[in-house]
Amino acid sequence: MLPTKSRTDVAAGRFDWLTVAFLLGAVLLCYYLVPLLALVLSQPPGVVIQRLTRPDVVSAATTSLTASVTSAAIATLFGLPLAYWLARVDGRVKTIVTAIVVLPLVLPPIVSGMVLLTVVGPNTFLGGLAAANGLQLTRSVAGIVLAQTFVASPFVVVTAKAAFESVDRSLEYASQSLGKSRLTTFRRVTLPLAWPGILAGITLAFARAIGEFGATIMLAYYPRTMPVQIWVSFTTLGLENAFPVAVILVGIAVATLVVLNVLGTNPLE
Amino acid sequence: MLEVNSLTKTYDIFDFGPVDLTVDDEVLSILGPSGSGKTTLLSLIAGIVDPDGGSISLNGDRLNGCPLQERRTGLVFQDGALFPHMTARENIGYAATDRDRIAEFASLLEITDVLDRRPPTLSGGEQQRVALARTLAADPDLLLLDEPLASLDAPIRRRLRRELHALFTSLEIPVIYVTHDQRTATALGDRTAIVRDGAIEQVGSPMTVINRPATQFVARFTGNENLFDATVVEQREDTALLRVGNIRLQATTAAAAGTTVTLCIHPSRIQVYTPNGGDDPHDENTVSGTIDRWLTEGNEYRVEVDLDDAPITLTTTIRPPSFDQLPLETGSSVRMTIPPAAIHLLS
Repeated sequence: MLPTKSRTDVAAGRFDWLTVAFLLGAVLLCYYLVPLLALVLSQPPGVVIQRLTRPDVVSAATTSLTASVTSAAIATLFGLPLAYWLARVDGRVKTIVTAIVVLPLVLPPIVSGMVLLTVVGPNTFLGGLAAANGLQLTRSVAGIVLAQTFVASPFVVVTAKAAFESVDRSLEYASQSLGKSRLTTFRRVTLPLAWPGILAGITLAFARAIGEFGATIMLAYYPRTMPVQIWVSFTTLGLENAFPVAVILVGIAVATLVVLNVLGTNPLE
Repeated sequence: MLEVNSLTKTYDIFDFGPVDLTVDDEVLSILGPSGSGKTTLLSLIAGIVDPDGGSISLNGDRLNGCPLQERRTGLVFQDGALFPHMTARENIGYAATDRDRIAEFASLLEITDVLDRRPPTLSGGEQQRVALARTLAADPDLLLLDEPLASLDAPIRRRLRRELHALFTSLEIPVIYVTHDQRTATALGDRTAIVRDGAIEQVGSPMTVINRPATQFVARFTGNENLFDATVVEQREDTALLRVGNIRLQATTAAAAGTTVTLCIHPSRIQVYTPNGGDDPHDENTVSGTIDRWLTEGNEYRVEVDLDDAPITLTTTIRPPSFDQLPLETGSSVRMTIPPAAIHLLS
């Protein structure tokens, strides 16, 4: 094994590049942490808790959670089969389909909202058809779910695809050669082995959905989600009134990181 | 009985087949270098890969187009392919048609005390035995093994070779064992097939492919390093008189006088003497030369001798007792006898 430290590294007069690198990076670290701490410490906890119980805050939290859980569920339902398919095909079509899946991730959310409006907006064929059957695709929870699913579902597909790819195909062949059907093989071999990665993808999709603002505000200004509520509170009542909801979202973000690290498969690391 | 007829598969950089093969309730070892199509053959029979042409049938039932899970072909992968999230017992239980027999297979393969451990904590040999137990537990009609001993240390490999041959024979189903190791192939197989570039070069008993190789490739691959061109001088009853340089050799074989043949002698069949020591060899088929070099190879010595009367180097292997009696060194003179029956001719 190579020694990790040598005398010359710590010898006086020698320029320590690693320390310089860390000090430069520390500026960025502070830039991340200081505003977060400032947000949490800016108001006495009592005031924050009191504002958390206000009806508009409770309503926004309920709407956001309902919509995000639904979006994550839809993303999982349709994303897992796509992820499995992508993990098990080869060639050009895989590259193209993967690019399409990643598109919503790189598209500015507000543009995603515009794109969606051209398909599900009130004056479109789909929007009109749904409205005629009593389902509003905009200015409704359905609209929020549509917006969130569009921007968040790629996390499920991309992460689950990597998780499925990490399952050695010879394990599936072995299972099938032992007389097990494809479904049994998927249920008892592939899925259990890929599960931590899949769960990480669902967690990321949920976190992305609950923070969704750009596309949501285009499709559904009402009912208000937490990010929209923050925007409304900020523009009408000032920054302070936006704090309680922001604190909830910071809490959810931290919880997401905890879940990812407990799963041991943080795809962002 | 497994029957493979005119099986072909075309890849971008490799053409497999056409391969014809019949395997009764016996162990057929498939021997060939990496990339010769051994694993492709197993994948085609197992149903992992679909063939472009030809047919595969097992006990009269056609397997072409039959899904992997309905072929009743047990496939043991090179690395075992054990399910890492299940214990050894769960792995075997997953496949078992009769769960009461898990203990029986565990006992047979001596893995009873590791049944409750997960694959990553098992040694390579244990993993292979669990994988084999799992495959046997599914009660297959055909057993396919893809170099399961390749990654094991030599002592374990030797021990498992002995055990496996007895086990495979007792199964009374066709067993195909793929390997690139000649010793494993000939020790395990009732018959051995040598493959090269996606085609079978020769199928025969282990002794046949070693002593009577059909092609130069088979000869080299089974350790026949001594391949020389010779001229057939005369054919007398069942003996051919051959000439290599200024050396005349008798071979117990038939060949047309005047033709040029390739002569093939397995190193282990050449007897070595020093000019002054040991038994006085017969003059017949005795050649003299100088030791060019020697090296220790496993439990034997490999000696390369430059012949005096022909521009060739003959390789021979000597077991330690003989080697110790003959003080052999680089540069020393030796005499060697090549039994007429040990000379095989390739046309």
